[in-house]
Amino acid sequence: MTGLGARLRQQLVCFWLQLKILMFSPFEGFLAVLFPLMFATSALLVYRVNNDPDAMLYAGIGAAAMGIWTSQTVSATTLVQRERRAGTLELVVAAPTSFSLVLLPITCAMATIGLYSVVATILWDWWVFDIALHVEDWPVFVLSILMATITIALFGFLLSVSAVRYRTSWALGAALEYPGWLLCGFVIPLDLLPDALRPVSWALAPTWAVEGMRAAAAGESAWADLAVCGAVGLAYAALAGWLGVRLINAARRDATLALS
Amino acid sequence: MTSTRIFFVGGLMSYRALFGWMNPWIFIPSLLVSPVCQILLFAYIGRSAGVGDDEFYVIGNALNYAAIPCMFAMTFTIGGERFAQTLGLVLATPARRIPLFLGRSLPVILNGWFVAMFGVVVGSLLLDAHIPGSAWPLIALVVAVGSLASTGLGLVMGALNLVYRDGATMGNVLFLVLLIFTGTNVALDDLPGWMAAIGRCLPLSHAIEATRMLGDGATWGAVQGLVGTEALIGLAYVAVGLATIRLFEHLSRAGATLDQI
Amino acid sequence: MTAAVEARDLRRTFTTRSGALRRTRKEVEAVKGVSFEIAPGELFGLLGPNGAGKTTTIKMLITLLIPSSGSAHVLGHDVVTDLREVRRRIGYVFGGDRGLYERLSGLDNLRYFSELYGVAPREQKKRIGELLELVGLTGREGERVEGYSRGMRQRLHIARGLLHDPDVFFLDEPSIGIDPVGARELRATIAGLRDQGKTVLLTTHYMFEADELCDRIAVIRSGEIVAEGTPTQLKGLVSAGRVLEVETYGISDDAVEAVRGIGGVRTVVVEDRGQVQVLVVSCESGAEVTQPALARLDGTRVGRVSHRDPTLEDAYVELVTR
Repeated sequence: MTGLGARLRQQLVCFWLQLKILMFSPFEGFLAVLFPLMFATSALLVYRVNNDPDAMLYAGIGAAAMGIWTSQTVSATTLVQRERRAGTLELVVAAPTSFSLVLLPITCAMATIGLYSVVATILWDWWVFDIALHVEDWPVFVLSILMATITIALFGFLLSVSAVRYRTSWALGAALEYPGWLLCGFVIPLDLLPDALRPVSWALAPTWAVEGMRAAAAGESAWADLAVCGAVGLAYAALAGWLGVRLINAARRDATLALS
Repeated sequence: MTSTRIFFVGGLMSYRALFGWMNPWIFIPSLLVSPVCQILLFAYIGRSAGVGDDEFYVIGNALNYAAIPCMFAMTFTIGGERFAQTLGLVLATPARRIPLFLGRSLPVILNGWFVAMFGVVVGSLLLDAHIPGSAWPLIALVVAVGSLASTGLGLVMGALNLVYRDGATMGNVLFLVLLIFTGTNVALDDLPGWMAAIGRCLPLSHAIEATRMLGDGATWGAVQGLVGTEALIGLAYVAVGLATIRLFEHLSRAGATLDQI
Repeated sequence: MTAAVEARDLRRTFTTRSGALRRTRKEVEAVKGVSFEIAPGELFGLLGPNGAGKTTTIKMLITLLIPSSGSAHVLGHDVVTDLREVRRRIGYVFGGDRGLYERLSGLDNLRYFSELYGVAPREQKKRIGELLELVGLTGREGERVEGYSRGMRQRLHIARGLLHDPDVFFLDEPSIGIDPVGARELRATIAGLRDQGKTVLLTTHYMFEADELCDRIAVIRSGEIVAEGTPTQLKGLVSAGRVLEVETYGISDDAVEAVRGIGGVRTVVVEDRGQVQVLVVSCESGAEVTQPALARLDGTRVGRVSHRDPTLEDAYVELVTR
């Protein structure tokens, strides 16, 4: 029963069911898309004052990816809170499937919402701000978006694992939204930021994915950026897997699972 | 005398009862760190786009963020009671409604004022914003008026929350509306005409403009018109909110809508 | 034969912290050395007042909490180290209406947990269909859970707990807040589990429920087991004798104390039933207390006087109040 096929099926079914939960939710299904979309709009309104088409395109590309960040970080840190409130956290922990494999399809479902928000933002940019995406290398551009989605998903996975023990993680998660938008360089060039913050940006996989998106749009090679992006993402996954086991055990020891 | 006590003591007690879950782990990230990050985000966007100066974004976003505590807390003072099913008990008391609900708004306004002032102070310390020392007392006053106006909007939302259950989503949507329409990051004059027109009917627009002028060294005489307008807008929302509560209270007595969650 | 569930001197302490600035730590011992054994196929009841440590004990047995000390085995597997083996073989259902995904249909909730429990895809559909039938939700499974009544949610819970056909079933106050008809159906379902040879650990507040269902009962009080045995043994353990009930109108505390002082009286409890206070006197077998009791109630208006055999509830009240 633990064959690969069965495992894959399990992940797919869980993914689909979790996506259903998210889509029906006013928070993850609606706000997680609307919020970054409106912040992207606000950013583009600022750029629009000078109406420099190059700057608009630069911001438009990055703005499209803002939604992935929100749907992951905010949803991931509220995930555990949500399961606690529903009283299901203990039930999924008590199931023989390891907790990481419970979280993984949930994270992927969130990433799908993020992907939807990318498409919505690109259409919105085009419709409201007349930003026609001029992309030289579409396949690599799409690949970059997927890389952004996957690596942010892994980051969200890391966050949701770390958040198991903390009751107020949702507040911390919401507080990650703006810094992420800033540090990953979605709508500003990273050179503007103080040098001290540069390593933080490098440690965030989406930074590299957004660079890749821009490179692909401009027709330059995006492979180096995407390689770093993938490596950072794998590091998140490894860290999350390691933390997951330790933190769940700690939660069993300290009785923090049932707290609501 | 009873109404005065309901206003002060009742307001504070219900605030404490409804926000008992608030602790530094929630307050600091969501009400102190986040506004500063929002300020930084837009200040850098402004630098990157070559539009406006840091002070413009510090003031705009700090005041805009006051809407979060003001609107959410005010909505929650009514919506939260509905979830705990205590609203019916409160409405069954003979207490007068105006001091009852306005009393609840006073701690909310103070909270919003503190959040906005914190944003202005920390934002101007972190970025290149030089606000003259003499301007601070008036800025504090204008921010208070802006908080009052946002709380007025929160009261209207709270009233709507009596019949529409998803108050949190509504609050977020309104926050986004304020972000885009009130001149938080783009001066009203630089927005398309229809957007500016909407902005002028919303709370905060005039307070943000007045605070920016004060930051640039304007005198009270130059901003008093804006501050007066902001106060009037705020009071109008308060009046609409109270009237709506009264209407819904009547409707709920007729149709029993309060007890459904 | 290995026991289905075996607990050896289980202890669990909680550390609670309070205060935002000056954090104070307090250690609370919720379970203080609980030992019991449940044989395969047995329906075992764990009774006790709120906060006695029932749920904490169950959570240690179902691997959600690590015991502070002591050990426990389920079907021979250690609950601290053999997580997956234990989890695969147990079902867990708690009372109340939480623990379900509100935005999913009943069917989807069951599908989700079948996946997490690794129910083979081929069996899933059949199994879910059978369980929906068993708990009487057939026809309603497509609706979202947010529209379910409390009774329906509880039945869906039972179905969820049974998905992977567990050998040992933990039911934590399953009948809480269910109407009498629903509770009767639930009892029938639980009895059905026992008839299928499942091992069941049940906690409940309803004595008639425990009396009707359980093969053996342990009474837990303040984290310690104070009595253990069959329902009949328990009834006998506390009052091999009889129970005297006297209806009184306006009984004084002094009179109650006076009755308590009679030789052969074990406990005296006053139950308010409207205007009447019923004096429930349980006495040792052979002790003749009716006349002395009535004599001490001189001056109090007395109504009906009756005798009956002790119920499990009498035993329970006596055990947890003494």
